[in-house]
Amino acid sequence: MADHPLPPTDPRSQSGLPLRAAYGPDDVPPEHRAIMDRLPGEAPFQRGGFPQGYRTKPWRIFQLSGFGKPEDENERIKFLLRTGETGFLMEHDRNTADHLYNVDHPEVVARREDVGLTGAPMQSIRDTHLCLQGIPIETTYGHAGGAVVQHGPYALAAYWSVAKRRGLDLATLPGTGQSDFFLTYLGCVTKQQIPTAAGLRLNADIIEFCGRHLPKWVPVSIAAYNGGDSGLNAYEELGALIANAIEYLDEIRRRGRMDITAAASRCGGVNFRTTLDIFEDASKLRAARKMWHRLLSERYGVTDPRALRLRIHVVTSGSKMTYQQPLNNIVRGTLMALTAVLGGAQSLGVSGYDEALSVPSEHAHQMSVRIQQILQHETNLSAVADPLGGSFYVESLTADLEQRAWQFVEEIQAQGGFLATLDSGWLHGKARDNQIREMEEEVAGRKVVVGVTHFTDDVSPFVVDGFPGVNDAYDVALERLRAVRRERHQAGACAALKALEACCRSEQNIMPVMMQALDAEVTLGEIGELYRQIWGDWQTPELV
Amino acid sequence: MATGKRILLVKTALDGHWRGLSLVARALRDAGFHVIIGGMITGPEIVRSAVDEDVDLVGLNVGGHALVVERVIAELRAARPELPIFAGGVLPPSTCRRLAELGVETYPPGSTLEAIVAAAHRLTGQDERSSLGAGAR
Repeated sequence: MADHPLPPTDPRSQSGLPLRAAYGPDDVPPEHRAIMDRLPGEAPFQRGGFPQGYRTKPWRIFQLSGFGKPEDENERIKFLLRTGETGFLMEHDRNTADHLYNVDHPEVVARREDVGLTGAPMQSIRDTHLCLQGIPIETTYGHAGGAVVQHGPYALAAYWSVAKRRGLDLATLPGTGQSDFFLTYLGCVTKQQIPTAAGLRLNADIIEFCGRHLPKWVPVSIAAYNGGDSGLNAYEELGALIANAIEYLDEIRRRGRMDITAAASRCGGVNFRTTLDIFEDASKLRAARKMWHRLLSERYGVTDPRALRLRIHVVTSGSKMTYQQPLNNIVRGTLMALTAVLGGAQSLGVSGYDEALSVPSEHAHQMSVRIQQILQHETNLSAVADPLGGSFYVESLTADLEQRAWQFVEEIQAQGGFLATLDSGWLHGKARDNQIREMEEEVAGRKVVVGVTHFTDDVSPFVVDGFPGVNDAYDVALERLRAVRRERHQAGACAALKALEACCRSEQNIMPVMMQALDAEVTLGEIGELYRQIWGDWQTPELV
Repeated sequence: MATGKRILLVKTALDGHWRGLSLVARALRDAGFHVIIGGMITGPEIVRSAVDEDVDLVGLNVGGHALVVERVIAELRAARPELPIFAGGVLPPSTCRRLAELGVETYPPGSTLEAIVAAAHRLTGQDERSSLGAGAR
């Protein structure tokens, strides 16, 4: 295919901010200039949460992982830990987990070969036990899965119940869940999902439960990544994250069962994406910390510095990874990882070079870890915190993004708040507008993607066909589901499910009863049936 | 616009990523096609929609295993053997080859909307005058 002529250099950032050819002191607004000389570890933390930066706290190497049967996933997690990741992430099969279906649900049976493609099906605590076998969860930071909101309590309860069966003390268990509104209601809208109000209740339950019993656990992760990769630009991603946090913290305050400082410090582990606009996205992370500090101190009166200090997990943008010439993605992954580090992230996952084809192969996973190890050990990046601090350009971008992001927060609040913008489809509309703008750029030939739109010659001897996974995940899951139904104490399971139903209909915290249900070997699909009876289905706004 | 040829767009997997489908739907509508969004539906439901809506082309948004897609294609072929099908989404080269053997054109990530719209014109026989971005490049 003949390459198109190259477009001129764009004088705007990825989010459309106008850029000058060079920056000087007058480009930094006075109120931002006043805090520019604060050091990392000093409020308002735009320069970083910790005075020693990565010297004392290297960022966590934390890769998405999961496929096949629970034992396949277990092997991959162990491989990643051996390779050098310092936290592990346990994905569940989307077909079953996201929809709370067992594998014999007709929707799943119709697509049975898809089961296990993106995570192992975990329909009872037995599966979670298999997935975690031999992994030292008492000392290793673990992500229990439960990315979509309705799956959160189940995934967490399963993980915690396994920990309890091992005799571990939940009070010292390190890890996180997700239960992310951006993924569930914006980026990857499932076929069936509980309404947003019910989702908010579950997330508030998780936050309160962790506050009481799991002080080392980040209960939910607000993952603005999923807004960004759906189309929100950098300042919309920032603003929407803050609006989401307001929704959680207002709910915690309204319920009045938990100290707001404790809730804020628990919720202050969030997730952003980085893309290939290096300085805009590094500035985005700096702006996020400053905004968090302001939100917490002004709206909630929080004064404890630990609660005012935002901790950030970054995942490099999957949508930037190309299908063509996939090895180029190793370079893209490196640059996006560098951006996260320059922005001061606490934890990082680098998308696999085969992202556009499948879940990561073992080799793609290895490369994602190696990229991070090279950055940590060969570049001296970890020596000095916030190396971009004081750059007229970066400080100006940080201030500009922050100002636009607060404006976006106000727009969301004027719509009735974050949940209201999901219910009405307003936020989807914002994402769609940007998608269309990007499409128009592409059609007009103003976008360069190396190896795709331009520079398409390729002499690579490597063939990348994506990771094939295994072919027995469905059959084994079906057999195991039957075994659970056959072997469990029926009366106990029945009673636990009844107790769960009563709890859902009350205002009690769902987590203790969910853990009892998991212990009694109640299955994922039974819990889904119950939820659907009680809460019905979210009215999905027009997406297309 | 509604007088254009009719295209059914569906997702074969229980995977709700909607960005790609949304853009393709818009490009096809801009080019004058009547686009019907089927969403995440099963093979038999896809066949029913294709028949009830009397469509001229089916677009499969693939986000899962090739065997699931092949089954949907077989079901569609059994009901309406002449109906053209094309596919986009997560399509490793081996899946593209397999679908090509079944007579299904594939548009993996990185395909231009221009190419997808051109394919829709060719496969439905609709006049190309209102094509997206005509002359833009």
